[in-house]
Amino acid sequence: MAERRNDEVWTAEELLERLERRDKFFVLDVRNRDEFERFRLEGRSPVPAVNIPYFEMLELGGKDEILDSVVAYVEQHMANQLPSDLPILAVCAKGGTSEFVAQGLRRLGYASANLKGGMKAWGLHYATRAVVETPTLAVYQVSRPARGCLSYVVASAGKAVVIDPLRHLHPYLDLARSKGLTIERVIDTHGHADHISGGPALAAQTGASYHLHPYDAIHPIDVLPATFPYEPIRDGQIFSVGQHQLEALHIPGHTLGLVALRLDDRFVFTGDSIFIRSISRPDLGGKAETWAPLHGRSLRKLLELPGRMTVLPGHVSSLAEADDQGIFATSLDDLKQRNDGLLVLQRENEDGFVRYLLESLPRFIPEYVDIKRINAGLLAADEDEASTLELGKNVCALSQAYKDSSGETT
Amino acid sequence: MSQSFDKLFDARGLNCPMPLVNARKEIGKLEPGKVLKVMATDRGSVADFQSWAKIAKNVELVAQETESVDGVSVYIHYVKRTA
Repeated sequence: MAERRNDEVWTAEELLERLERRDKFFVLDVRNRDEFERFRLEGRSPVPAVNIPYFEMLELGGKDEILDSVVAYVEQHMANQLPSDLPILAVCAKGGTSEFVAQGLRRLGYASANLKGGMKAWGLHYATRAVVETPTLAVYQVSRPARGCLSYVVASAGKAVVIDPLRHLHPYLDLARSKGLTIERVIDTHGHADHISGGPALAAQTGASYHLHPYDAIHPIDVLPATFPYEPIRDGQIFSVGQHQLEALHIPGHTLGLVALRLDDRFVFTGDSIFIRSISRPDLGGKAETWAPLHGRSLRKLLELPGRMTVLPGHVSSLAEADDQGIFATSLDDLKQRNDGLLVLQRENEDGFVRYLLESLPRFIPEYVDIKRINAGLLAADEDEASTLELGKNVCALSQAYKDSSGETT
Repeated sequence: MSQSFDKLFDARGLNCPMPLVNARKEIGKLEPGKVLKVMATDRGSVADFQSWAKIAKNVELVAQETESVDGVSVYIHYVKRTA
């Protein structure tokens, strides 16, 4: 009985496990069509999905009650669209409506589950994975899989530095508590556009210092300074973490104040520069043509790092980029062989690479201007506004990163 | 500007899909030409009422507005039964 119940409700965590295992299932998403277009479930392999807004089921099913309408609608309009041999995951915005849909499907004999908390819960789900964990050094990757956002905790001798913390602080506070770590520093590699930084809040809550390159303490479009206190990062600056050191490398291009952080000769936290599949876009400050050559020069500087170093990026564009442990990381040498942007960088001269960058820009996301304002302390957002601004997957990479990543069938 | 209405349906506190499901039942009880005012606290109801009204028969979404009542945002939908 307990097992059966479990099959009928999937938490965001269980969903992530199934996506990572490449379990086969089918999604019936009953949100509005524009919500579905903006933010859908994506896995390591394409997830087949169909989008029928619940009010269409209600109206065309024609019954007073939603459950009866779902049953009638599916019988009359969807008999051939739903697989009988796969679990069907019912998905809505917050998980309430999809519970009726899952019930209706089960009434018709389908194996159906509800995504608990809906796409909201999926979008807010965090996963923490150890990249390395030894008595003298640990690196944890804290991800928000639905958004493709990555952040890191570097720990040594009971001290920790948090890099690019995301908006919700609980993953970092929980990790610090469970591992007995004191968070000494919080570093933002740059002023983020796609998500709201947890940096200033985490620093304030833990008493840690907060570090940002001064160029990114100015909103690039408003040209107004940040309103919160920060310690300016300079190129070559060393931050100690217990027995280890992080070195800041100023690599402008995606933003003017972007820094990578090098941990000994083992790891490089590349922020929004080199990702796994592709590289970052240079246009989110509104100055693509001016910043693109800088971006190329910064990336060439990163290519001079030892090739065996492990790249730990700020984003991914798909869960398919994870390794077998669900970690998003690989060596610089590996990326030189297969990263879309780095392949072009190694082949082209500066002009050719700039041309490639400017031809590869995804659409500009208007919300990103406000997110940068929030990250400079120029604008405030409550939880509801923040989650609306952050809805969906990041679009911080070049357009090549987003091809073939959805599994829609309709 | 205050929109006129004939009946009030208070769906505050109800989560999706109940504001729309129950409002739809209430509209069914109205005479053609009459307007139902729906008050909801579920923000998703704004887009849902718009999209639903486009496909529903004999229904017109006359107006929508947002009010703050005791610090809580209330999403108001005026729905007319047209036939």
